[in-house]
Amino acid sequence: MKILAIDTSGLVATVAVADGDVLVSQFSIQFKTTHSQILVPMLDAIQSNIGPFMNTIDAIAIAKGPGSFTGLRIGAATAKGLCLALDKPLIPVPTVDALAYNLYGTEKIICPMMDARRSQVYTGLYTFVPTSSEGTMEQKFTMKTIESQTVLGIEEIADKINEIGKPVVLLGDGIPVYHDKLEKLLKVPFSVANLNQNRQSAAAVAALAMTIYEEGGAISGMEFAPDYLRQSQAEREGGSADGGKKKLPKRPGVIRIREIRAEDITEAAELEKKCLGAEAWTEKQLLEAQARDDTVYVVAEKTGKIVGLCGVRNVSGDGEITNVSVSETCRNEGIGYKMLKQLIERGRGIGITAYTLEVRAQNAPAIRLYEKLGFKSEGVRPNFYENPTDDAAIYWRKEQ
Amino acid sequence: MEDIKINKTTEDDGVIFMSVKKESEKEVDAKKDGDVTILAIESSCDETAVAIVRNGRTVLSNIISSQIALHTVYGGVVPEIASRKHIEKIDYCIKAALEEAALTFDDIDAIAVTYGPGLVGALLVGVSEAKALAFALNKPLIGVHHIEGHISANFIENKELEPPFVCLVASGGHSHLVVVKDYGEYEIIGQTRDDAAGEAFDKVARAIGLGYPGGPKIDKAAREGNPDAIEFPKTKIEGAQYDFSFSGLKSAVLNYINGAEMKGEPINQADLAASFQKNVVDVLAGHAIDAVKKYGYKKLAIAGGVASNTALRERLEKDCADNGISFYRPSPVLCTDNAAMIGTAAYYEYLKGVRSGLDLNAVPNLPLGDRERRYHANR
Repeated sequence: MKILAIDTSGLVATVAVADGDVLVSQFSIQFKTTHSQILVPMLDAIQSNIGPFMNTIDAIAIAKGPGSFTGLRIGAATAKGLCLALDKPLIPVPTVDALAYNLYGTEKIICPMMDARRSQVYTGLYTFVPTSSEGTMEQKFTMKTIESQTVLGIEEIADKINEIGKPVVLLGDGIPVYHDKLEKLLKVPFSVANLNQNRQSAAAVAALAMTIYEEGGAISGMEFAPDYLRQSQAEREGGSADGGKKKLPKRPGVIRIREIRAEDITEAAELEKKCLGAEAWTEKQLLEAQARDDTVYVVAEKTGKIVGLCGVRNVSGDGEITNVSVSETCRNEGIGYKMLKQLIERGRGIGITAYTLEVRAQNAPAIRLYEKLGFKSEGVRPNFYENPTDDAAIYWRKEQ
Repeated sequence: MEDIKINKTTEDDGVIFMSVKKESEKEVDAKKDGDVTILAIESSCDETAVAIVRNGRTVLSNIISSQIALHTVYGGVVPEIASRKHIEKIDYCIKAALEEAALTFDDIDAIAVTYGPGLVGALLVGVSEAKALAFALNKPLIGVHHIEGHISANFIENKELEPPFVCLVASGGHSHLVVVKDYGEYEIIGQTRDDAAGEAFDKVARAIGLGYPGGPKIDKAAREGNPDAIEFPKTKIEGAQYDFSFSGLKSAVLNYINGAEMKGEPINQADLAASFQKNVVDVLAGHAIDAVKKYGYKKLAIAGGVASNTALRERLEKDCADNGISFYRPSPVLCTDNAAMIGTAAYYEYLKGVRSGLDLNAVPNLPLGDRERRYHANR
C-alpha cells in the first residue's frame, strides 16, 4: 500500500511517501521556520520531484499526538484537509510509538521522551521481539508496548526504567533537556540514539501506519482530532476566578487506569475501607482475589495515588463486579466510568460475556453510572445491606 | 435583509451549529461561464465557519459552528479550547457548506481563509486546512484579513453598495474608522488608543454582574434602563479627531460602582448599562458621522460584533437620515464572525489577481490596509 505520512508533533516537520517496502520520498526540516509555513511547501516540493502523487496514495498517516498542541493541530488540519479533498482514509499513529519505531529491531528497552515542559515528558516503553521466522531472511520484529504513551515526570519514567532493570536506549527531544537529571536517575546501562534515529521521522510513522491499517486502524479524517494527553491550562485550573457565577467541576489531572499490582494492595484496601466501611475487603482478601486467574482488578491512579478500584470475577462466563470504590475527593470526574469501561474491556479477555453487580438501592449516583454503562435492573434482594438497611438492586449488562 | 433564516442545532458538546440561509436566494441560477465560486474558511476566534460565495455577493451556503457556550464559564474565549474545537468541527462545516450549496469541490474556483488578525492557534487550524485543500485540489488560495471580511459583509445584503464609503468597525478586538477607497483599499482614519469597544462592553458587563458575552447582555439590560441616569466622561484625543479611547470610561464605571458600594447604595444595573452604552454609542456614532461629513462620500457602513448593538444601529439610522447619509448595516448574524464575509472579501482580491502562497502563515496582529504582501506571493 502507498501512504503519505505527516508528523509535526515536535521540533521536526517531517513528511514521507512510502509504497510497500519502498520509501519513495522523505523530507524533514528542523529549523527556524514554523511548521505552518513549511509543511505544505514540503509536500509541494515532493510533488515537483516525483510528479503528482496525491491521487495515487491509499491513505494518509498522521502522528496523532501527544506533542506540541499547535504543532499537532497544524499536522491534523493539513491531514484532514487532504483526506477531505481526496476522499482518502486517515491512519492516526501514536507519536511516541512512532518515535520508538525508529529503532526497529532493537531488543533493548526503548524509551522515547518528548519534552512536555513542567519537568514532564511524553514517553512510553517499548521493545522489539522477533517473530517466528527467526534466523531467516524473512525474520520480522513486532513492537511490544511495555508502557503505553503517556505523560510522566522525569523521575517517574526513570523509576519505571530502573524497575525493569534492562539496558535502555533513549531518544527524542526530551533527552537534551533532561540529560543531566537522567544521568543521575538511571541505574541501568543506557545509550542515546544517534542523529539518524533520534527525532520524529515520517518514514517511521508510515511504516507503523501500515501495521495499524492492517489491524483496522484507519478512520475518516472528519472524525479525527489530536490526542493531546493533556487538558488545556484553563480546564486544568477550572475556570478563571472572575469567570461568572457557574464554576466548573473540579477537573481531573491525568488519570491512568491500569491493572492492579501487588504493591498497590495496601493503598487499595485503605481506599475500600473509606468507601465501603464494614463491607470493605481486607488487604488479605484483596491480595488473594487479584492473584486468581479468573479475576481482573483495575485501579485508577492520579498524581501517583490510587483513587479508584474495581474488580471482576469470571463465574462460568458471567462477570461478577465487586469492590467498586472511588476516592471521595475525586468524585464526579468520570473515574468510575473510565474504570468500569476498562474493566469490561479487559473482562472480555478472560472470557466474560455478561456482567452483573449489586448496588444499594438508595445509591443513586452509582446507579446512574451503571445505567450509563448499559447495565439494566433485573431484580432486588430485599434488606440485603445493613447499617443502614437497604435493598440490593441487581444489575446486568449482557453483550449484544 | 429580514428574510434571513437560521437553522440551529445544539450539539452534545454545547457547540451550536448554524446554517444561515437567505430565503430570497433559495433558488440560485445555475453556474454561468465567468462565475467565480469561492469556498471560504474563518477560524480566528471561537466560531468555526465555512461558506460558499458566488461572485462576491451571492451566498450559496453559510455554516457557523459557535462555541460561545463553552467559553462563558471562563468569562472569555480560552484560546486552547477554541483551537481544539476548531479542529474537531472544521471538516463537518466544510462538508455541510458543500451539501447546503449542492456543490462539490469541482465547482469551487478558489479557497479563501482568514489569516489574521486573531488567536494564532485558532487561525492556524483554518489556514492549515485551507492550504491542504488548495494543494490537493490544485485551486488558488486567497488569504483574507478578518476585518476586511467584516467590512465586506456589507456587500452581501446591499447589492448596490460600492466604494468609496466610510466604515465604522467595532468588535471585541477592534475599533476602527476606515475609509474604503476601493475594493481591497483601506485607509484607517481613526482607531482606539486602548480598549476596543466590544472589550469595554465585556469588562463593564462583568463588573456589574451581567457576565459574558457583554455586548448582547448590556444591550438587553439597557432597554430597561434610563440612558441619562448617570453621566460618564467622554474621552477626546488631542490632535486625533477620529481616535477612540474606552479605558477611561471603563474606569469611571468601576469607580461609580465602588463609590456606591462604599456608601452602601444599591446599583441600578439597567440604568448603569443604559448610561454606559449611551456614552459608547455617542462616541462611535459622533466620530462616524463627522468622518462621513468630512470625506463627503454620503455613505456609512458599520461592521463587527458591536455593529449588532441595537442602540448603535438606531442611533446611526437616525443620524444618517438627518444628515442625508445612506446607512448600511449587515444583519446581526453577518456582524458576528462568519465565513460568507471572508468569501466576499476574497472575491475582490481574486479579481485583482491576489493569490497566496502555500507558505501562508497565521498572522495574529495582521495590520489592516497595509497588508504584508509577502504572504501573498504568487503561486
